[in-house]
Amino acid sequence: MRMVCKIVLAVVFCCATTFAQNKQLLYDFYEIPQSLMINPGVKTSHKWHVGVPVISGISVQGASSGVTVNDLFANDGVDFTTKVQERLLDVMGNRDDFGSTSQIEGFTIGFRGKNRPDDYYSFGMYGEMDVISYWPKDLAILAFEGNGGNNIGRSFDLGDLNVRGEMVNVFHFGINRKVNPDLTMGIRGKLYSSIFQFQSIKNSGSFVTTQGTNNIFESAINADMQLQTAGVKGFYDIVDEDSGTTRKDVERLFSKRVLLGGNLGLGLDFGFSHQLNQQTTITGSILDLGFIYNAKDVWNYTFSGSTVTDGISVILPDDINNLDNDLWQDLIDEIDEALPHGENQEAYISWRPLKLYGSIRYDFGEGGNPLSDNCGCAVNPGGGINRDYYRNSLGGQLFMIKRPKGIQPALTGFYQRKLGRAITLKATYTMDKYSYTNVGLGTSLQMGPVNFYVLADNLLSYSNIADSHYASLQFGFNIISWNDN
Amino acid sequence: MKKLRYLLALVTLFAFQFTLVSCTEEQNFDQIEDLSLTPTLSTGIFYLESDEASINQAGPFNSFYFQEVNFDAFNEEYVSERLLEGTILYELENTTSKQLRVTIDFLSEDGQVLDTEVFNVPANTTDIITRDVYYGPGGKSLDILINTSGLRISGNNLSDSTSVSSNENPKVILRSGAEFEFELL
Repeated sequence: MRMVCKIVLAVVFCCATTFAQNKQLLYDFYEIPQSLMINPGVKTSHKWHVGVPVISGISVQGASSGVTVNDLFANDGVDFTTKVQERLLDVMGNRDDFGSTSQIEGFTIGFRGKNRPDDYYSFGMYGEMDVISYWPKDLAILAFEGNGGNNIGRSFDLGDLNVRGEMVNVFHFGINRKVNPDLTMGIRGKLYSSIFQFQSIKNSGSFVTTQGTNNIFESAINADMQLQTAGVKGFYDIVDEDSGTTRKDVERLFSKRVLLGGNLGLGLDFGFSHQLNQQTTITGSILDLGFIYNAKDVWNYTFSGSTVTDGISVILPDDINNLDNDLWQDLIDEIDEALPHGENQEAYISWRPLKLYGSIRYDFGEGGNPLSDNCGCAVNPGGGINRDYYRNSLGGQLFMIKRPKGIQPALTGFYQRKLGRAITLKATYTMDKYSYTNVGLGTSLQMGPVNFYVLADNLLSYSNIADSHYASLQFGFNIISWNDN
Repeated sequence: MKKLRYLLALVTLFAFQFTLVSCTEEQNFDQIEDLSLTPTLSTGIFYLESDEASINQAGPFNSFYFQEVNFDAFNEEYVSERLLEGTILYELENTTSKQLRVTIDFLSEDGQVLDTEVFNVPANTTDIITRDVYYGPGGKSLDILINTSGLRISGNNLSDSTSVSSNENPKVILRSGAEFEFELL
């Protein structure tokens, strides 16, 4: 039990120190090729680009909407159980979550069509791990306080158990087309190769103990719970077998799953950028509109049923001839029968976390590159309005992600400034459920053909990163060929 | 060359930003060892109900109910190792015309009586008789519960077998429940 609790807390706080999904700094930061990955319809002005394998795009992000690592683990001399009670149980609600996403780009390549210079093609592969766990408030209170004392009459919501996680390798191919001087649209197809997936997101039921109608206490439970897993048991069996080749076996299975040997899925991204006038642009994108069909290595666990019990009950004269002395075991058997728990291998579909971005941007401050010196115009002789002409941009962005308990939004205001053609800086302020003080800063440095970018969120928390509800870091190297080099 | 130096300086600035600037207060993850989970669990244990006719049928000064039941709730290893303290709650109600005695023996696995609770219940009680028996420091020994493997419950009529109460639907009811504190961690 102690080990289980430790593992749960460790997972929770490992999650809390890695990554969440919003990439507000990268969004519409079109100097960085990876911005294509979050808006396939972003303006592209490159001739081609190649991401430096493995380090072209690394992002780690962690979020906790309730407690922070520092709240619990600060070396402050306060009793740990008291901290858990006061800072976790008394504060966090069942909509608070611990979220984590990490992403690493295997490779990425983009090039402009020779015969169709309006089109920019890009393809590549990246790995992604995404875990979200809502705080199981009622179950935690049940474990800490029990059903007795002040909790007599309290209904514990079994639906509070809500967790989803997956590791997936993604192969993708996208087309970005300049439809006209003012409009760029893009689409990206994705093939998901699942490494593992688990979800327990449609649980319902309750457990309540009340003053009984017959006996002193009466407990009632009704449950409809399920944990679906795909790809987990394969790894578990290898580790459990402990054959001496565990590491090799895990690596072999992992490689197989990365290269389309596991469960597969399909997805699409859409996006656009529309220049309303010389200085105003709106953009939008929908990402990961897709699913994975989990049919291999599936292992699901179910727990459902309902029952009411007030203990052993003998009513005379009805039970006068009942000489059974195993009444306690009979009661246990009855409860077991009323609450069947089982396993099955039924295939299931898991939906990818759907994401939506939108933005409006106002460019100002003449002094950038002249209108005729449009990186994009060289391949699009039709020309257009040169966004590079303006040094500054100001705007707002909206991000929404579909999570198991609903849509999770984030609102961002940003300021972007170009320092010559080599350096672009972007500063953001973001409000979401994790933080109202999230100030981020990013830069893209162009040194000849070499592009380096680094984007970091929630800088105000860096004085004590353990006390942060949200942390994010993205960076990468690319080789970019502009149209004039 | 000047531009290159400028760029390098910026890169260095960012490197510092994420290494030196970011810091954290001292954390002690070993505190998790100090986590203590001691929930209080409540449950009904035993409910006995008998109408007056059944008591009369058993005869005067006789036992109208006698049963030994296996009861391993407390001596399950997982429970017995974690039981800190607890209270067994009893409630008795008697609207029959009989004076009754209800006895509960806590039996060990080999049938030894570990403890006994005796309730002498007057006839026609208007109030519910309650008794809370505490097990743990300052109370009865927890070993009684931990070693209990069965309960012997008997109901004895201390009166005649002919009288009938004027109360509506006269009966005797024994209720029992438990509130126990466990140390899960």
